[in-house]
Amino acid sequence: MIKASVQPNDGLIVVRNIVKSFGRLLVLDNVSLAVEEGKTTVIIGPSGCGKTVLMKHMISLVRPNEGEVYFKGERIDELNERQLARIRVEYGFLFQMGALFDSLSVYENIIFPIQQHHKITDWKAIDELVKQKLAMVGMDGFQMQFPSNLSGGQQKRVALARAIAMDPNVIMYDEPTTGLDPIRSDVINELILKLKRELKVTSIVVTHDMKSAYKIADRIVMLHEGKIIADGDADHIRNHPHPVVEQFIEGKIGEADLAALRHGGTKFQTQYAKDDFK
Amino acid sequence: MIHSIGVKTIDGVANLGRFAIFATRAHVVSLKSCFSPKSYSLIWAQMNIIGVHSVPVVMVTGAFVGMILALQAYGQLASMGLEEHLGVLINIAVVKELGPVLAAVMLAGRVGGALTAELGTMNVTEQIAAVESMGTDPVRYLVTPRLVACLLLTPVLIVFADLLGIAGGYFVSVIQFGINSRAYIDFSAQGVELWDLGTGIVKGFFFGGAIAMISCYKGFTCKEGAQGVGQACTEAFVGSFMTILGLNYVFAVVAKAIYSTFWPVQSLL
Repeated sequence: MIKASVQPNDGLIVVRNIVKSFGRLLVLDNVSLAVEEGKTTVIIGPSGCGKTVLMKHMISLVRPNEGEVYFKGERIDELNERQLARIRVEYGFLFQMGALFDSLSVYENIIFPIQQHHKITDWKAIDELVKQKLAMVGMDGFQMQFPSNLSGGQQKRVALARAIAMDPNVIMYDEPTTGLDPIRSDVINELILKLKRELKVTSIVVTHDMKSAYKIADRIVMLHEGKIIADGDADHIRNHPHPVVEQFIEGKIGEADLAALRHGGTKFQTQYAKDDFK
Repeated sequence: MIHSIGVKTIDGVANLGRFAIFATRAHVVSLKSCFSPKSYSLIWAQMNIIGVHSVPVVMVTGAFVGMILALQAYGQLASMGLEEHLGVLINIAVVKELGPVLAAVMLAGRVGGALTAELGTMNVTEQIAAVESMGTDPVRYLVTPRLVACLLLTPVLIVFADLLGIAGGYFVSVIQFGINSRAYIDFSAQGVELWDLGTGIVKGFFFGGAIAMISCYKGFTCKEGAQGVGQACTEAFVGSFMTILGLNYVFAVVAKAIYSTFWPVQSLL
């Protein structure tokens, strides 16, 4: 196991020795990580390994059983909802399915965080801001649409526009390319790079899409069974000697899974003989 | 078996504790929101959905309760020559018990089910987490308007149920059975006290609070998937229904005790 010693001021966001379990299921087991300001940190790992839970700790949407979470050197895991509001305005969070409010239009979704923290008086400026944020994600003109009328990719882009509405310092992306076709996935990747370039934000991305991870990451961290088993840049991960990392990045099925499949039987009937295709 | 009983008991107590924390927090936040003009538009919107849209169904319920009471009780009273006293029986039953309870049960079905389904869906699609991630307290944004609307409007809806219950009873008694209108009204006025009407309406405040709290809590804690939302809705309705009946009993005991303390002679009559 890799053990890291991190201090509260080692990065913009620091998680230190966090342990999290849901009932009897141990999801995070003594994880420490310091996220560097202005960089894109990608957290990879198989489904259910605790990637999203780790990221949600960084914004205190989930509280640890043990350990500490710091933002700009201030401990945030012990703050109450009201105190957290001041911290959370510095974050933008893109949820896996977008999590747009389906009872509100695209326009209302984007102004939601602004309305919650400011008294809007200049509506013209707000219209312009919404237009600008939507233009950044290529969705200008969709202001009056409702989320149910948009495709999955469009919903994610609108959700991204909402996440950047308050000009956050940190943007968190929860599996941003999941469920999208390869071209739409690349659009999202380019958007993440564009936002980093233009807004100079710190990005944390949870994904299991290695193509996306290699493209956007400054640093890749791999979680496995609640522990960090690899940490480095794209090249480091690509050539990592750990068999679990190697198997994951190459997307190879394990021997145990193969054996289970064989046992369960994967026989099928075909209407063709081998020679039919010659 | 002892182990499973123990586990279920501990789970039940823990769940009750979580509900108590949730309900206390919701009430504290709601009280604060009542003094914050920013919340008024949200409360107003929920009042429209919860209150205004429930008026027809509550009125229909009330009317049929009054009508059926008249229909069933007329024969019994008429056989003793007491049909002119029918109004007392109908109106006391309507304003004291049946109006408030049935209006609250209708609300638990119409409003409680919708609240749980809406918040449950928001929960499983991470919309509640999204509200939280943007620095807004989901209890303040989602629970408070619904709680305040239920608290304020359930008593008003009970007034509508009572009104139509009284009218329905009058209609069947006077128009259908031909009871003397003047006698019907006079006996009713003598028999039904302001206390009866008042306790019935005050109950609505508690019923409304229970419906909102149980429904919102079930929505906030609902499990993943369509089945999870469905289960939460069922639990919310059953929970609200049981709570309404339980609260009604407790309220009757308390009201009776208060009444006999302040008006000992009337309570004997």
